[in-house]
Amino acid sequence: MSQTKIVGTSVPRVDGLEKVTGAALYTGDLKFPRMLYAEVVRSPHAHAKVLAVRVDKALKVPGVRAVATGRDFPFHTGIYMRDQTIFAIDRVRFVGDPVAALAAETPEAAHEAAQLVEVDYEPLPAILDVVEGIKPGAPLVHPDLGKYYVESFITPKPGTNICNHLKVRKGDYEGALAKCAHVFENTFTVPQVQHVPMEPHISVARVDLSGKVEVHTSAQSPFTVRHLLCHCFNLPHGDVEVVVPTVGGGFGGKAGINLEPIAVALAMKAPGRPVRVAATRAEEFYATVVRQGLTATLVTGVDKKNKVQAQKMYYLWDCGGYGGYGVNVVRAAGYTCGGAYHFPNVWGDSIGVYTNKPVGSAYRGFGMQEIHWALEQQMDRVAHELRIDPVEFRLLNCLGPKKTTVTGQLLEKSSGRVDKCIEKVDEVLKLRARGKKKPFHGKGIACAVKAPAMPNNAASSVIMKFAEDEMLEILISGIDIGQGLATVAAQYAAEALDLPMERIRVRMRPRTDFSPYDWQTVASRQTWATGNAVLRGCEDLKRQLFEVGAQALGAPVSRLELKDRKVIDKKTKKSVPLAAIVVGYQFPDGHTIGGPVATSAHHVPDGLLFLHPETSQCSKPVAKWTFGAQGVELTVDPETGNLRIERLVACYDVGKVVNPGLIKGQTFGGIVQGVGTGVMEELVIDGKDGRPRNASLMDYKIPTALDIPDKMEAFYVETPQLDGPLGARGIGEHTMIPTPAAIANALYDACGIRIDSMPITAEKVLKALKEKQRREKEGEDVQPAAASVAKVRPPARATRREAGRERPGGVRARRGRAK
Amino acid sequence: MLLPRFEYRAARTVGEALTLWAEQPGARFMAGGTDLIAQMRTRRKVSRVVDIKQIPELNQIRESEDGGVAIGAAVALSALCEHPRVRERYPALVECACQVGAYALRNRATLAGNLCNASPAADTAVALLALEAKVVATNMDRSRVIPVEEFFLGPGKSALEEGELVTEIVLPARSAGFQGSYHRQSRRRGMDLASVAVLVAKGGEGAPRYRVGLVSVAPTPLRVRAAEELMEREGPSAIARAAEAARLACSPITDARASAEYRREMVGVLTARGLAALA
Amino acid sequence: MRHTITVRVNGVEERHEVDANQTLLSFLRDTLNLTGAKQGCNEGECGSCMVLLDGKAVNGCLTLAAELDGHEVATIEGLGQAGALHPLQSAFLKHHAVQCGFCTPGVVMTSLALLQENPKPTELQLKTALAGNLCRCTGYRQILDAIQDAAKTMRAQSKRRTA
Repeated sequence: MSQTKIVGTSVPRVDGLEKVTGAALYTGDLKFPRMLYAEVVRSPHAHAKVLAVRVDKALKVPGVRAVATGRDFPFHTGIYMRDQTIFAIDRVRFVGDPVAALAAETPEAAHEAAQLVEVDYEPLPAILDVVEGIKPGAPLVHPDLGKYYVESFITPKPGTNICNHLKVRKGDYEGALAKCAHVFENTFTVPQVQHVPMEPHISVARVDLSGKVEVHTSAQSPFTVRHLLCHCFNLPHGDVEVVVPTVGGGFGGKAGINLEPIAVALAMKAPGRPVRVAATRAEEFYATVVRQGLTATLVTGVDKKNKVQAQKMYYLWDCGGYGGYGVNVVRAAGYTCGGAYHFPNVWGDSIGVYTNKPVGSAYRGFGMQEIHWALEQQMDRVAHELRIDPVEFRLLNCLGPKKTTVTGQLLEKSSGRVDKCIEKVDEVLKLRARGKKKPFHGKGIACAVKAPAMPNNAASSVIMKFAEDEMLEILISGIDIGQGLATVAAQYAAEALDLPMERIRVRMRPRTDFSPYDWQTVASRQTWATGNAVLRGCEDLKRQLFEVGAQALGAPVSRLELKDRKVIDKKTKKSVPLAAIVVGYQFPDGHTIGGPVATSAHHVPDGLLFLHPETSQCSKPVAKWTFGAQGVELTVDPETGNLRIERLVACYDVGKVVNPGLIKGQTFGGIVQGVGTGVMEELVIDGKDGRPRNASLMDYKIPTALDIPDKMEAFYVETPQLDGPLGARGIGEHTMIPTPAAIANALYDACGIRIDSMPITAEKVLKALKEKQRREKEGEDVQPAAASVAKVRPPARATRREAGRERPGGVRARRGRAK
Repeated sequence: MLLPRFEYRAARTVGEALTLWAEQPGARFMAGGTDLIAQMRTRRKVSRVVDIKQIPELNQIRESEDGGVAIGAAVALSALCEHPRVRERYPALVECACQVGAYALRNRATLAGNLCNASPAADTAVALLALEAKVVATNMDRSRVIPVEEFFLGPGKSALEEGELVTEIVLPARSAGFQGSYHRQSRRRGMDLASVAVLVAKGGEGAPRYRVGLVSVAPTPLRVRAAEELMEREGPSAIARAAEAARLACSPITDARASAEYRREMVGVLTARGLAALA
Repeated sequence: MRHTITVRVNGVEERHEVDANQTLLSFLRDTLNLTGAKQGCNEGECGSCMVLLDGKAVNGCLTLAAELDGHEVATIEGLGQAGALHPLQSAFLKHHAVQCGFCTPGVVMTSLALLQENPKPTELQLKTALAGNLCRCTGYRQILDAIQDAAKTMRAQSKRRTA
């Protein structure tokens, strides 16, 4: 790779100045004349029939200007599966399901009116547990499942609560398992959690008297919002404009479509008036979207040489009341079901289950943190059971060049190297070469892998144009939700055109009327996709500049170079400044050639193929993989169960570090989010009535500055991605994937206990420690290392037989361990 | 959530505050407002807020008649924590007060407000209990002094009568010099209500005197005299039994923050830690 | 009931009518159109609305506008601007302490209040002061580094001033 000047340096964020001065405008900061304020009426029931919705009393409240209910807008929406209406029509499916909404002159009036909307419900039995949800005869959350429009790669099972089921069948799992020397089976659980962006969801919509719709919204995907709104309201794309101001964090929660349809529905009822719908913090927790819960059962068969030969993964996803976005998490978890490992024989099932709980959606990592919680603890357990060092065991079984993924994709040298990441973490934390172990002090490691989960045709594009003063303007529709996309885009252009950063402006608040198309800002795909588009655009800008420059300088294009804001004839050293070309070059006699220099460019993933419908085998299901590993060093307070994370070391193969300052921010930010889900976060849904029990920041805790690891260290391997911009691949999500599992593994190392259910609270730790002490006292465990409270199958003959007898297709659902 | 409509009136004297309260049913006194404003958003109906922050005498920390310290009801916790005399004479109170909420919250929140909420989770309440503080409450007719140990009746319930305004909280001279060791267990380290907390204080000249107070493990903040007496009688050798006495004295419940079993267990652990730290 | 208040905001005297149930945050955002302070939770938990009242950090969502009469408020808008940034702002840029930026004004104002009280905080003091400001993007590390760096600059500046 050639030397780079700007790519690879910690240039400050291009949007930093407006953010540190408070100048950046977020959706809620915008003022719209005559704006109305909305309040949404939401279901208090987890599952109920809606018999009647009466709004007459609400309409009498002074100041109320519009009301919208389900019957007014009987349209289905959803990104991958259209299973949701804007407002519930005849059935509510979770506590918080919108039933109606009102818009009024003041928030007070809207609030008052909302209390007066009368809804008659007939409560139905609710599914509040995935294991209950897939039982035959369970009440159906979506009796009309067979009637919904569904994308071709999503496979719901009408007549059940299964909204998607992806099967992975590689090799001969059953045959291989029968030959294994050791078999292990464990179940792990992950609760629903929430993204907690600091800016809650907010959308403002206006429908003018000509019928044109304008939406300002805090969203990750203006074009997808527009596309889905157009579908939902049966409008031409040309008549809907979506504008995304500065976004205060997304983490997946603002992907797809959220409050926008409610805002548009109300705006249609109050033509000419902007209508603002803003989620309260409480609504943010239970009524927008959450990360899906997971119950994972893994069976691992290992041969005498400590190689995993057979691996079964059974993932049950708690998708909540609607599966529109979450069904694709189910799919991604399926085709990535083996994580960072090479498993020759695989039986994988990833099953999404409707429940009467908050709606699952994308969340940083898109299912990967959840499955890695299971996979990485399983690998660690197996290593300990087999009395092999967990680092050795990982290195022995991990993916790498010439290994195949669970879908049979053959990895290449350029696919990235998890082994190097493991080795780096090991080197820094001295996992293998450790001295004497202190009591209640432990170290652990976990790996991570993720590919972008997106349609095969997910595209990004850019528009690039020069202003008269040769300032380069880059229009993007990828959203800078904080990750630094605008800065990275500018760095690529600066690199390719040899421009200083301050001569570039990235227009980072797209309006769909004027901005180039971009599918979504998700999947850690923007540096790669928009970066590639920018580089392609720069090539074309250069071509145009040289075309004119060649005439201006009287030199062939082959002799020209672009440097220091000039087109230079390398032979004569004569040059022409860019400013003289960018809007047309004028010769001394007044004759003008060329014209405004501008271009557009795009990026579409190359050569992606659909998965085989029955086995998911596929030679290229995804665009790229990013591998990594994290190591944790911690101490446990054996009397309280408190953990202190002293050190957290991360290493990722990112292909190319584009901006060290930004990537460190992604890494530390992901780690701390990982610590949050790992040790403290859980959206508690009451098992009886389905109501959220901690829908506030007082009750749902996320890490503060006092809760971060004492020391965080980030390292990067740079194995260039062949189709990545200057070799780069995605990293945004990966940083939070392995953290909880690494903490869990360090905890085991520290004191010999396993916590199968995320999060690892002090209370669970203490309980497990006591249980371990009790067992040891009773002499149950002759081998302290294996004295975990979890149900580890010992490599005994009986276990093997049982595993062998199990029909692979008929995996039994097991309950997660009691918390 | 929106703040519902209410009247705002700022009083300049205690008398004015009491009048403003009396003339409007449903009125509430407000000191820092950090709890009241949050409560009004979700559940508490208030017709009139009577702000007492502008009453000069309630903003004072002064020496009390018996040589102790009287803390005005409108004094912010941050001011309390920085007050040299309070820091010197009542370090146990400072230790607890600086754990309330977060940095900025303590610039508004007051000791009196923390007390009047009568929350079993109030960090300062346990210090006031341990230091045998007295609450001065005034209504239109009279002023009375309520010992803190008679103040708490249950979650959110105190001995205050309708219309009584807490004007100051008096720390007695005899509690001066008690060193505190406050041990707190919460779901995260930064800004969280205590799931369990134990304050151990030790003072007195000659034979040491002990105070043991518990947070979030009973309907009210709790003082464990049995533990104190054990320590006073037998000294550091009684730590384990004193911790056991504290464990037995509490009556925790299970909620979103912790289970009853864990709380009880932690009372034992944290009491022992506190006692060991001071012994 | 409306109240007329006179309050200095970023050094400028403002006289306005406010509702009794209007918060300081709403007064800044809706009345004065100073939108730097954000509404993240409206329950005093996130710190996105942090501003200075008479030099002390307060949650704008837990303070009534009616209480402001005769007082002084400082917001991010009064701190610095392009070409004349406050050392905290410069340090946040240098250390990549900003991501989505929603928490940034609140974090900067809390840091400012802290450094005015304690020009040389320890890491623990700094973390403790920031515990009421939630940031979901950065993991706080670069924020902490930026504040310490700014503190150094500010100490040097005040030394120069007194010299």
